[in-house]
Amino acid sequence: MVYQKIIRLGIATVIAAGLIGSPARAETILNVATAGSKNMLDYVTDYLGPMFEKQNPGVKVRAVTTGPGDAGSRKIFDKLDAQKKAGKAKWDIDVAVVHQKMAGEMVQAGLLGTYRNDIKTGKLVTRDTAKMALGTNVDGFVMPMFHSQTAIAYNPDLVKNPPETYDELIAWTKKNPKQFGYNGIKNGMSGVSFVVGWMYAYTGQADKLMNGPYDPSVENSWDSVLSKLKDFNKNVSFTPGNAGTLDMLNRGEIVMGPVWVDMFYSWQAQGRVPPNMKLKLIGPGMPGQPMYYVMPVKAANQDLAKKFIALATSPKVQAEGIVTNFSWYPGIDAQHVQPTLDPKVWAKLFTDVTPEDLASKGKVFPIAPYFDDIKEAYEKKVAN
Amino acid sequence: MTGAMDKNRYLPLFLVTPALLVVVGLFMYPLGYSAISSFQDKSGAWTFANFEKAFDLYSLDIGFTVLIVVLSTVAIGVLACATGGYLTLGENPRAVAVLKWLYRWPLFIPFIVAGQLMRTFLAKNGMLNNILVSIGLLEPLQATSLLDWRGIVITFVWKQTPFVALLVAGAMASLDRSTIEAARNLGAGRVRILIQIIIPQVRQTLLVGLILSFVTMMSVLSVPLMINAETPTMMTVDMAFRINSYGDYGVANALGFISYLMAGSVAWFYLSQGVRKGERP
Repeated sequence: MVYQKIIRLGIATVIAAGLIGSPARAETILNVATAGSKNMLDYVTDYLGPMFEKQNPGVKVRAVTTGPGDAGSRKIFDKLDAQKKAGKAKWDIDVAVVHQKMAGEMVQAGLLGTYRNDIKTGKLVTRDTAKMALGTNVDGFVMPMFHSQTAIAYNPDLVKNPPETYDELIAWTKKNPKQFGYNGIKNGMSGVSFVVGWMYAYTGQADKLMNGPYDPSVENSWDSVLSKLKDFNKNVSFTPGNAGTLDMLNRGEIVMGPVWVDMFYSWQAQGRVPPNMKLKLIGPGMPGQPMYYVMPVKAANQDLAKKFIALATSPKVQAEGIVTNFSWYPGIDAQHVQPTLDPKVWAKLFTDVTPEDLASKGKVFPIAPYFDDIKEAYEKKVAN
Repeated sequence: MTGAMDKNRYLPLFLVTPALLVVVGLFMYPLGYSAISSFQDKSGAWTFANFEKAFDLYSLDIGFTVLIVVLSTVAIGVLACATGGYLTLGENPRAVAVLKWLYRWPLFIPFIVAGQLMRTFLAKNGMLNNILVSIGLLEPLQATSLLDWRGIVITFVWKQTPFVALLVAGAMASLDRSTIEAARNLGAGRVRILIQIIIPQVRQTLLVGLILSFVTMMSVLSVPLMINAETPTMMTVDMAFRINSYGDYGVANALGFISYLMAGSVAWFYLSQGVRKGERP
């Protein structure tokens, strides 16, 4: 009996402490969900979050990552969609960071709120990517967090004259079988990007694929382009994922392969890719994409969310966080970022891939329906 | 106390309810939902289109999945019997103790961690090849990457053998040793005792272990995703790709349905074996 009393007393104490304790931590929590690899989470938890918390006492930034690639963005979509269908008045994500394709789908599904015109950094971005996402009008709903680009990484000790174009790359792989590696299309976006670049190069429909309008019959002319890719695949190595390509380059198992520029630079800075490795953006071009800040239409803390995104897209944060710390290309227009930066840092970002290269060979991904067609055609004609 | 319990006929039912609800809510409902929606198109109309597409695009992968899983299951069976057999028949107590201590370790390693380990271990210039080269068993130029179907099989076997071995070794340890001793007295070697005396007696346990491993391997996504860079690949990867890349739950569910059928047929085989055994005491 005595024991029971003690236990009851203990439980009562715990409950009371909980009741008393809860007002003490009456801070607002800003929930940030980000798609992407761990570096995306690090960016919020180590850099942006603490800065925002310092500027807004009583606010705590809670960040989660939902995983790399479109899969990660889809998890955010699914969560918001479920809350919408359940008729929730307030959703538990305040700010999300998503990929292009899902940003378009989220706008179409009515999951996002407009905010760009409400924040003063909204005027600092004039690029197309702030208005259109793979053929969907997202004007007002998104701010680019950064832009990234794919390019071919190579070892200059072993490849003296890196290929300048897809044609030269094909010739090179014939002479050096299995020395070029990419990750197919099921294992991360750098491989997808390489395939899309291939389609731009050989279908002669690059403009149509990027800008639409969508015409399902376009696909009928792809057979020869895809069988050419199938032949090409015989002379290449396959890598397990975006990180897998970098790993294989690092271990010297391949000497060339498509990678994300930002990932390449950050791995190089961490010593996971040899310092002598270089990048080449080959012609006619390879795609890149932005990540977007979005605010769900029923986010619980909308004002804070806007404030958070405004901070994240301010020139200072873009210069220090995005360009200097993480080697991404800025989300807002370059002329607003460059003046606040050490010229050396700026130059480093553009050593291998020059601004001219980016302007002429940096493409966008195709509009969503063509994008799906390309991936499925690859599954059917190249992988099968 | 017990008298009160006997009176309450509904108590057992009440006690089993939470478990039943969990099974229905978290297993039966999603299973039924995914099975039904594999026969529906996006607007909800009945169709076989998902299955047509699944076979059109992924028939190679379906065959590949069956081959990989069957091959792995066979290898697991052989290795588990060998491990269990040595634990039961081994004559060097030190070796038995070491094996007993070592063989369970992979049980505690999740598939995704095993995948990550193997990814660097089995790579062309990975640890395995580096060791083989440095002890002179392999010329550097002969080194090839094992990160293809072989990598998947190696990882599956490495991860699942301890599980089956654990079950089998337990069953072997509880056998009546007199049959073993009798065979030994008549001059049978250890291999013969294992194959002709022990394994037939633990056959049921072995089968259960192998079927559970088969079903587990069918469902693993991380290992083929992390290890196999080549095509064809396993069905789980295709399911994930359908959803992540196209938001196409229909074809993903159709592939899921096909893998239920595979797992189900194995389970049916097991049950039918068990029932037949039960009929013939």
